Amino acid sequence: MDAKLDFLRELGNIGASHGTTALSKMLHGERLTLVVPEAEMLSFSELGNFIGETEEIVAGVYVRMTGDAEGHMAFILPYPSAVTLANMLTMGSDTELTEIGKSALLEVGNIMITSYINALSALTNLTLYPSVPDIAIDISAAIWQSILVNAEIADQVTLIKTIFTTPNKIELSGRIIFLPTEAGFAKIAEVLGLEEF
Amino acid sequence: MQEVFVNMGQIRVLQTSGILTTVGLGSCVGVTLHDPVAKVGAMAHVFLAKSRPERDPNALPGKYADTAIPALISQAIAKGARQERLVAKLAGGANLFANLATNNLSIGAQNIEAVIQQLNLFKIPIIGKDVAGNHGRKMRLFIESGIVVVTTAGQESIEI
Repeated sequence: MDAKLDFLRELGNIGASHGTTALSKMLHGERLTLVVPEAEMLSFSELGNFIGETEEIVAGVYVRMTGDAEGHMAFILPYPSAVTLANMLTMGSDTELTEIGKSALLEVGNIMITSYINALSALTNLTLYPSVPDIAIDISAAIWQSILVNAEIADQVTLIKTIFTTPNKIELSGRIIFLPTEAGFAKIAEVLGLEEF
Repeated sequence: MQEVFVNMGQIRVLQTSGILTTVGLGSCVGVTLHDPVAKVGAMAHVFLAKSRPERDPNALPGKYADTAIPALISQAIAKGARQERLVAKLAGGANLFANLATNNLSIGAQNIEAVIQQLNLFKIPIIGKDVAGNHGRKMRLFIESGIVVVTTAGQESIEI
């Protein structure tokens, strides 16, 4: 179990560092710090607690991964960070998310997630495709729950999340989520010779 | 006042007073049953339309519409409700990520349809609903009155 979680964390590290490098470039070299990725295996009832009862508003970009291994990926930002990032990308100074800000976030999320998927693909030699992306601004629990419903979770889910922050004064943090399907995870482990968990 | 939270896949029942709450209904559907005479209220937080005994044999009954509605009814009856007095209200079944829909009927829409079909099967009238759309919802059932309040982020709450 520990070896499996270590492996998942490493996947998260490789994928998310590619994603955040892409974001850093778009922010003209603004340095982003990755917090050590967390990998968790949660049961369906644990997921309920994990999602929580808070009514925090977040921005979520969601992409489905298809091809040799399937999964679900999301880029989730607390609302204040989403506004900050949108302003940085559009050179704006808005206090709320505008339509232009939203489409900038959608594009950034798409690039980050695609970089993550490309890194996974290079590592495993598997052909992996990102779907078209979509963005929602809503209660955190509603966004999580919609992704889990799309993933049609049975009794257990593997969740890899990487949090990033900026070391500078700007308030910016977010997380990249990778939720492989059971078969998708087995496939990645298999090609990397790690099926013996 | 006692407030009980209902997570994904759960069913909860209260009698006399209190509030049953579910936060963050996205494509999931919140279903409430209420018996105004016995003052019994029940809530389910339905995740998907159809149970999958092979892939998910130990699922909570409240997770899938086809098992959730029968379980919701029997748990309400066990607390003193009468089936012929039960009335239902629905919220949720939205489609937050419309770009990603793989077929014509979103999962949210399939969930709503399955819940309605089950309630019809047991002849329980649906007297209020706030469903579909592309935004998340919070649903609260007040046991004493049977009033359901639905809240959407950034909007006024509505009573159904």
